[in-house]
Amino acid sequence: MQKTILIVEDEFIIAMDLKVMLERLGWRVLGPVARVAHALRLLEDELPTVALLDVNLGDHPVTPVAEALRSRGVPFAVASAYDKPELFGGAVLEGIANVGKPTSEWSLLEVLAKLSPP
Amino acid sequence: MDLEDLYRILRTGHVQAQGIVDTVPDPMLVLDSALTVQSANRAFFRTFAVGRYDTIGQHLYELGNGQWNIPELRHLLGEVIPKSSAVIDYKVEHKFPEIGKRVMLLTARTVFNADNVSHLMLLSIVDITERSRKEAEFEAVFGELRHRLKNVLGLVRALANQTKAEGISGEEYRKAFLGRLQAVVDANDLAFSDHGEDGLEALVARATKPFQTAPETIIIEPGPPLTLASKEIMSLSLLLHELATNALKYGALSAPAGTVRVRWDVEQDDHPLLRLSWRESGGPPVRKPTSTGYGTQLIQFAIAYNLGGKVEQNYRTEGFEAEIVVPLERAARPD
Repeated sequence: MQKTILIVEDEFIIAMDLKVMLERLGWRVLGPVARVAHALRLLEDELPTVALLDVNLGDHPVTPVAEALRSRGVPFAVASAYDKPELFGGAVLEGIANVGKPTSEWSLLEVLAKLSPP
Repeated sequence: MDLEDLYRILRTGHVQAQGIVDTVPDPMLVLDSALTVQSANRAFFRTFAVGRYDTIGQHLYELGNGQWNIPELRHLLGEVIPKSSAVIDYKVEHKFPEIGKRVMLLTARTVFNADNVSHLMLLSIVDITERSRKEAEFEAVFGELRHRLKNVLGLVRALANQTKAEGISGEEYRKAFLGRLQAVVDANDLAFSDHGEDGLEALVARATKPFQTAPETIIIEPGPPLTLASKEIMSLSLLLHELATNALKYGALSAPAGTVRVRWDVEQDDHPLLRLSWRESGGPPVRKPTSTGYGTQLIQFAIAYNLGGKVEQNYRTEGFEAEIVVPLERAARPD
């Protein structure tokens, strides 16, 4: 079955890039969405295999989305320019893999393979 | 030398010493071995808002209702100083009743008198409250700058990745990529300019300028003045760049007599809207493309994803048209 990934990212060009990159890698993309409320609505309809989260959504942390994913058992990674995303996004991001920003296809592949072994 | 002379020398010596102490820009105290204030300079009175008569002759820890009775200072003077002749830049934080929290660097030095029995202590107090506040501010700004730089690099990476490379030459790819990058650079310039150039009119003029092959090929109708938020500038700049690129490749700007008309209006309401229209005419007959390209996807992301707006593209045979509707982030602010 085709794997699904939720993308939360507020910078539109980066959101588009991640979408195209992941689709090229064979994933079905939920979103991308730029806001917490929008992401939570999507999660009510469908739970993705994994999720990739930007940490800082225009001054709002992505924290509620991370908490919703954790409580529903969906593994996730962050794509953040912060060295320590938990300082901005709170304890729920502690120890979470960061694919970095700018995100290389290589680190994206590596992290996704860990979150959802083929 | 009689007593009178000796007294005069001592007096002038004291006056000179006081003069020297007063010229030191940082607060300074001269204490005797019992920690009674022998002398204090003007910077001390000014910085800590205290008077000369409440200071001289008082015990250090009793100054100003005991506001100098600071545990770290007691430790420094009681434990550290007797064992070493000088302490340099010892950092102390203390909240003073009158002037609030202060961060200070204390430097203390023992000066022995000629008799080698009694001694004085010079205590200089550098108030670094403002400096450490500025340093913390700088750290925060620097961190934010680093974060933004990474975001900008991510954006450049995405642009390079989003520019079609399949089936075209390296030169063509470079031209397409650099064109988009320039639209982003221009948008950044406009967003950060402080010469009132963050208006829609300046943006339209700047974004279309590289495509004005002859005067008046792109006709910009005067519209209501509108100041834009930085994300609106970025999206609209990329949108106009993509529309103009397509017009030059397939549309009106590919023919000598072709023209483009750009006009806009602002709907003042509880939720103000910008309506921008792009109308091409005089070009080759238009056919709807069979597949949506990267450019169309970029336009959709720029307008719908980034601004919550809508783009309608009409492939009319006599000329391509695009109607863009964008909810304005701030209440529209006509200049």
